[in-house]
Amino acid sequence: MSEAKNKQNTEPGWGEQIPKIWSMAFYSLRAQLRNPATFAFGFIFPIVFISVFGLISSSGGLSIKLGVADSVSKQTPISQALNRVQTIKVDRGEESALRTELLRGKLDGLITTTQGDYYDSRSPATIKLEVSNANPQQAGAVQSILSGVIDKMNLQASGVVDPPFKLTINQVAGREFRYIDFTLPGMIGFALLSTAIFNTAFGLIFLKKTLVLKRIFATPTKPLSIILGQGLARLISAVLQTVLILAFGVLVFKFHLASGWVTFFEMLLISSLGLIVFLGFGLFISGISSDENSVAPLANLITLPQFLLSGTFFSTEAFPKIVQPIANNLPLSYLNSAMRKVATEGATLAEIWPYLAGLLIWGIVAYLLAARTFKWQ
Amino acid sequence: MPETQTIVSVKNLKKKFGELTAVNDISFEVKGGEVFGILGPNGAGKTTTLEIIETLQSATSGEVLVDGINITEHPWEVKRRIGVQLQSSGFYPQLTLVELLKMFGTLYGVQVHPHTELRKFQLDDKARSYVEKLSGGQRQRFSLATTLINKPNLIFLDEPTTGLDPQARVNLWDTIREINRDGVTVVMTTHYMQEAEELCDRIAIMDNGKIIKTGTPHQLIEELLSTGFSRHEEVKKATLEDVFLHLTGRTIRDE
Repeated sequence: MSEAKNKQNTEPGWGEQIPKIWSMAFYSLRAQLRNPATFAFGFIFPIVFISVFGLISSSGGLSIKLGVADSVSKQTPISQALNRVQTIKVDRGEESALRTELLRGKLDGLITTTQGDYYDSRSPATIKLEVSNANPQQAGAVQSILSGVIDKMNLQASGVVDPPFKLTINQVAGREFRYIDFTLPGMIGFALLSTAIFNTAFGLIFLKKTLVLKRIFATPTKPLSIILGQGLARLISAVLQTVLILAFGVLVFKFHLASGWVTFFEMLLISSLGLIVFLGFGLFISGISSDENSVAPLANLITLPQFLLSGTFFSTEAFPKIVQPIANNLPLSYLNSAMRKVATEGATLAEIWPYLAGLLIWGIVAYLLAARTFKWQ
Repeated sequence: MPETQTIVSVKNLKKKFGELTAVNDISFEVKGGEVFGILGPNGAGKTTTLEIIETLQSATSGEVLVDGINITEHPWEVKRRIGVQLQSSGFYPQLTLVELLKMFGTLYGVQVHPHTELRKFQLDDKARSYVEKLSGGQRQRFSLATTLINKPNLIFLDEPTTGLDPQARVNLWDTIREINRDGVTVVMTTHYMQEAEELCDRIAIMDNGKIIKTGTPHQLIEELLSTGFSRHEEVKKATLEDVFLHLTGRTIRDE
């Protein structure tokens, strides 16, 4: 007994805890990766989303569908002129059928009849264009292209060979901004937030309920080591997600990393910071919810508005002025903006410090809330 | 260690959850080398008592010594010395038995040879299985394997045989007896009287947070009989459980 008393040392030292933290992290990560739900949310969904958005953006470019009624002969100058305009795709058909298409928004404009197929000095040919107000942008484009075509025809008809004003266009070699360049950083943010919130909140509730946490508690492992181990597992999984999303984006959709590898590692760093901040929210939710049933609404309450408002899928500039201050200051908005600045504009970490600071402040708030509400049992 | 030495000493232990008193001023001692049973209906406070001694819950008042060590002052030393089996298994469902043993090895800071450990508990062919895929009896045996991983001389088992079929229960009793024979003191809860009679050297009967009686099973029965108590029915030489085991055999069915 006296020997036993001599061995009493109070708290375990941190040196002894480090292998325990690693072991918790390693096995927790293993368990997570074997969980189909985690795998789907963290790895499959982002890839599917990127694929979908990548395909949308690659079919881009201005294209206008113009209906030309059968009553307009193919030999008329207007028909022939339209064939030479590359951006216009001519759809021929019966007039009423084409009009229905126009009303449905399938066509951007409809050319019906010209009064007299060929012009002569007494009665000018009238080309009638119908547009739908459903899509003003496309309608505007049709109008300006068509007036250009008609102006040219008029000049020819008036016998002007050498017009007094000429427009020459010089194209500068700007980098093409593609939708994937916008979506991919947003996708990383989406994956990080889902992993941190859903996986942590559901995961911890599950571990509490199945007594896994309690059993680990019975071992000489510090509570903080358990939390650190769990956090580390999610951090590793988040970095893996970012690597996977970036690799997929770069290899399949030619996602552009502004400064190559430097950008790559900067994005990994931002991901890590983002995950650590979001984990705080995950811990907070698992602290205030008693079971899985209350986790779901709370987790959705925190994630859904952010998915919609934080410029994950479309830019926050699209929102009304009143919403913008909220939309621009959510934790995910800071992360998304930081990611985009680094990825597409090649900004350095020092240049995006306001976003990182914003993220950090959210992190502090989250961890303060988590510390007040967290329960082990 | 002589058998009479006290290994667990509980004095005036009290645990309150708000208004509810789960454990109401109980005191008892467990001697080194014995199998000590805490008996009682559900909600009697058995699990709470166990979890306080295991340092998983804090006591409202009272003193608990494990191996002479005060559990509130030195919880870490206590955690290192004891083995714990919770009421339900408490393992990651997506980890294999080998992985779980390795993980607990690291958490206890001890070297583990998972396959040797599994062989001891007749689980060597389940090395790559998940806990979920085990039968009730296998699960409890695996749980015992993790309980013993840090080579404790004192283990706590919370209702180890609840939910098992008679064969698996009898098999687990044998395992617990073997462990005890190797010098490990066992503190267990149960609500099966037959189990207490078969396994326990001494028992404490608990109800409504209080220990109402302590003694050897034999003593307690004699005491009751001395009050003039007799069963309504004539005592038969065998129970229905004996009939069942006789008809279906004692071999466990979970392999």
